Amino acid sequence: MIQLSNVTKEFDGKRTVRALQGVSLQIRKGEMVSLVGPSGSGKSTLLNLIGTLDKPTSGEITLDGQLLSGLTDDQLTQVRRDKIGFIFQFFNLLPSLSCLENVALPLHLRGWKKAKASERARELLTLVNLDHRIEHLPDELSGGERQRVAIARALSVYPPILLADEPTGNLDTHTGAEILSLVRDLHQRLGATVLMVTHDRSVAESCARTIILRDGQVVEDINREPRL
Amino acid sequence: MMLLRLISWPYVRKHLLRALLTTAGIVLGVAVFVGMHTANQSVLYAFNRTVDRIAGATQLQVTAGEIGFSEDVLERVQAQPDVEVAVPVIEATVQTGIAGQGNLLVLGVDMTGDRSLRDYDLEKADDTIVDDPLVFIAQPDSIIVSRQFTERTGLKLNSKLTMQTMQGPRQFTIRGVMNSEGLASAFGGSLAVMDIYAAQLVFGRGRRFDRIDISLHPGIKVDDARRRLQSALGSGFEVDTPSSRGQQFEAVAQVYSMNATLTSIFALFIGLFLIYNTFSIAVTQRRNEIGILRALGASSGLVKRLFLAESAITGLIGSTIGIGVGILIARGLATYLGTFFAEVYGVGEKAQEVSADPKLLLSALFIGVGTSVVAGWLPARNAARVDPVKALQKGRVQVITEGESRLRRNLALLLLAGAVACATLGHVRIFFYSGYMLNVLAVLLLTPALCIWLGKALRPLLKWLRPVEGALAADSLLQSPRRTSGTVAALSLSVALVVGLGGIAKASYESIRSWMDAALSPDFFITGSETITQRSIRFPEELAGEFRKVPGVEEVQAVRTARILYSGTPVMLVAADLRSLAERVRLQVIEGDGATMYKRAERGEGVVLSDNFALLRKVKTGDVLELPAPDGMVKMPVLGVVLDYSDQNGTILMDRGAYKKYWGDPTVNAFRIYLNAGEDRAAMRQKLLDQFGGRTRLFIMTNAELKQYITNLTDQWFGLTYVQIFVAVLVAILGIVNTLTVSIADRKRELGVLQAVGGLRNQIRQTIWMEAIAIGVLGLAIGFALGAVHLYYILEVTRRDLAGMRLDYRYPFAIAATLIPVILGSALFSAIGPAETAVRGSLVEALEYE
Repeated sequence: MIQLSNVTKEFDGKRTVRALQGVSLQIRKGEMVSLVGPSGSGKSTLLNLIGTLDKPTSGEITLDGQLLSGLTDDQLTQVRRDKIGFIFQFFNLLPSLSCLENVALPLHLRGWKKAKASERARELLTLVNLDHRIEHLPDELSGGERQRVAIARALSVYPPILLADEPTGNLDTHTGAEILSLVRDLHQRLGATVLMVTHDRSVAESCARTIILRDGQVVEDINREPRL
Repeated sequence: MMLLRLISWPYVRKHLLRALLTTAGIVLGVAVFVGMHTANQSVLYAFNRTVDRIAGATQLQVTAGEIGFSEDVLERVQAQPDVEVAVPVIEATVQTGIAGQGNLLVLGVDMTGDRSLRDYDLEKADDTIVDDPLVFIAQPDSIIVSRQFTERTGLKLNSKLTMQTMQGPRQFTIRGVMNSEGLASAFGGSLAVMDIYAAQLVFGRGRRFDRIDISLHPGIKVDDARRRLQSALGSGFEVDTPSSRGQQFEAVAQVYSMNATLTSIFALFIGLFLIYNTFSIAVTQRRNEIGILRALGASSGLVKRLFLAESAITGLIGSTIGIGVGILIARGLATYLGTFFAEVYGVGEKAQEVSADPKLLLSALFIGVGTSVVAGWLPARNAARVDPVKALQKGRVQVITEGESRLRRNLALLLLAGAVACATLGHVRIFFYSGYMLNVLAVLLLTPALCIWLGKALRPLLKWLRPVEGALAADSLLQSPRRTSGTVAALSLSVALVVGLGGIAKASYESIRSWMDAALSPDFFITGSETITQRSIRFPEELAGEFRKVPGVEEVQAVRTARILYSGTPVMLVAADLRSLAERVRLQVIEGDGATMYKRAERGEGVVLSDNFALLRKVKTGDVLELPAPDGMVKMPVLGVVLDYSDQNGTILMDRGAYKKYWGDPTVNAFRIYLNAGEDRAAMRQKLLDQFGGRTRLFIMTNAELKQYITNLTDQWFGLTYVQIFVAVLVAILGIVNTLTVSIADRKRELGVLQAVGGLRNQIRQTIWMEAIAIGVLGLAIGFALGAVHLYYILEVTRRDLAGMRLDYRYPFAIAATLIPVILGSALFSAIGPAETAVRGSLVEALEYE
């Protein structure tokens, strides 16, 4: 599903910083993988590259059989539209839009009719147990609820790949556990490939596979029975 | 200072474009102020310099407006004990007919006495002339010119120079060439000197002088001598220093000056909003930074001073650049203005160089910095009030709290109530202008609320157009009323300014057109100069009789126009045959009995005033005017007031009989000629030129040509208005670019999210474009409404204090309609840059942006 071959990412500034060095890995369809490592190890950079938010300096990335190299920005956006759902640490909901509108946003961007997009958004909000908050604005929700809306938005087109950047990082332990449980539940029910960046060891261990990064390189790739 | 370097400078460097756009607001305001006033001052300076150089050692001058006086006045002046030298002078501007040389200022002087006042510094001359002025006088075709003039024209000593005179084209012989310093450099070197008695003849003065130049005995104080001379000559004469002519010129051109001041104030006012807007946003964006500063021990006062210092520096930089740009503008404008003043007011000359008054530049600097500090004061106060604990938390505080909104609304309603109260007392100047200010302030205070209301009304439309992009654009406006309202306020002010200017232009054109149709009924207008405002060459009145004898001519009206001083202000005196005028001209009567006032005026029982004279000088029918004439003040009752736009400073219409009786001046400036019905105008014109052109200098304008000439002058006047409109629109565009640049920075993460969840570049662009158009729509809507109020006030200002013109209120719908595509197009254009910045930036950075 996700394949990286010898991917390197450098940032140019006063001095060049190499965030990823020749990373190669493969994530199969339906896997739930955690990506861990100390700060500055390249976790978020790797997630951004897979999420087509950024382009590698060298190397190749293939998503669902499609090679990303050479794609234009708009073509990359198309890939993101069709194949990827994002869950951010700080939710990144649009404060002026209601929950329903936030979830329907990616659908509108795809040109869906309002009624159809609203129907799908309601369905997703029900899926994340927020059917009673449909018309609320993000500011009126708790942190956990906001993350649920963000998850619903990430699932809006039922993407085959779900990328989560510290999805519980901005939540208390109890809410974080709830969100993780929800992600796992959705992964099992919808069969999406999940790649989650986390600092939290328990969150990492809840995934069947954990990739550890250090200094921009994969130093360990652990397969285990997930600890629920 | 250290904080400015550590805290402010990095922020400015990071937001360089925004800083530049903010500074541009002040640059533009100051540049308009400096440009328009410096150009004005340069023309005045050139005029004064010419006056000064011509004056030579003259300490006092005796004049009687433009009318002049009889020769015997010279003896009375010379008899005064204070007077050492008193010499008569005639000044006339003539055309030489030499291509590219324009006009020549001819000074008619008495060569026997004049050289004790003026140094001719003759470099080459026929010795006999230098030694004996009587030889010069004995040869009435003698003329002295400047070296500059000979160099420009290729003429030399004893060359013949043809000049257009009252006696037709006359040849003069150059019998002296002045060195290019002092007197010779006056009027850009286009100066000639001739004998005064020859000048009387060729310029139609009869036995009259234009003025007497005086030098006093050593040790006598000028002020004392002036008082004694004034008392000896009587109130019909003006005794003043040569420099007072500059003051009179200033008074004549005051309408332009006030207009320039008003435009500058408006431009700076708009700039003030741009700065306020940018600093408000900066405070919001730098809350975190302010929180850190406070946490580290900075007092709220220090934070406030930091922001005030930033605004002062912005003002200082903007003003400095603005002064430079203003001087550049003045360079271009001064030449145009010199010609324009000469055509409209009959005085003034091209400024050879721009003279920037240090006082004006210093004022500009203070105004620019002051405006900036005033604009930055509220944001600075808000910065000082930032709660350090809250500031260190993530999140934004762009929204205006309900409490603040209510306060603004209530204050605005209070101001509106005040404005209404002032309107009822509008006849008192202070209440009138207070009402105007209160109205503008009320609308500006209401702008955030209006933005929210209008934004909400606009949202469904935008959403209907583009469900996502439209909704996001509208929400961006609604979410940040503070960011939006500053720009909308600046835009509204610009639109209101344009509506006001457009409205006044429309009303002026309509009024002038209707006045021309009523007043300018003759078939031909005959003048001694190609510009009707040039009155230095005059006809003998006998010419009227000769014109009457020409077959085909039905009626001839002789008119003498001259500027005289009324209560210290130059106004226009029009002396004409009122019986004939009353029969032919149907001027709208504002006051008085239209049936009898002309008859009474014809009998010399009084005068008829133009409406603008009555309004500006606060005179009404029944009042008695005291007019300066050679034998003392002439008391003339006001018999009526008519609508007449002959002169911006107002006209006094008097019968020629009364004029000749009191001023003893039989000369004529212009003839109004009516032809018999069915006469071929072109043939008649040619016939008159053939018959009279050889022996007198005359220009014949047809009715249509004169109307076109006046329309062209009006066009020139409003040419300046179009510059103002351009400035207003430019400031509006700056405001939109500024807001959008800020908006993009502010919404970086939001736009990043939009792209992260699948928004294509075009969709992001469209969101920003729609936001820009929405800002344009809000600005237009509020601006059109504010413009309606502004137009009412500006018409009133024009009527009461500027030109005394009673203009009808007509909303300029055509201009408003033109503004819609201009502003919306500009908004869209302004959005291109920010939109590209938004779609080309790093997505990862955008998502991490806080």
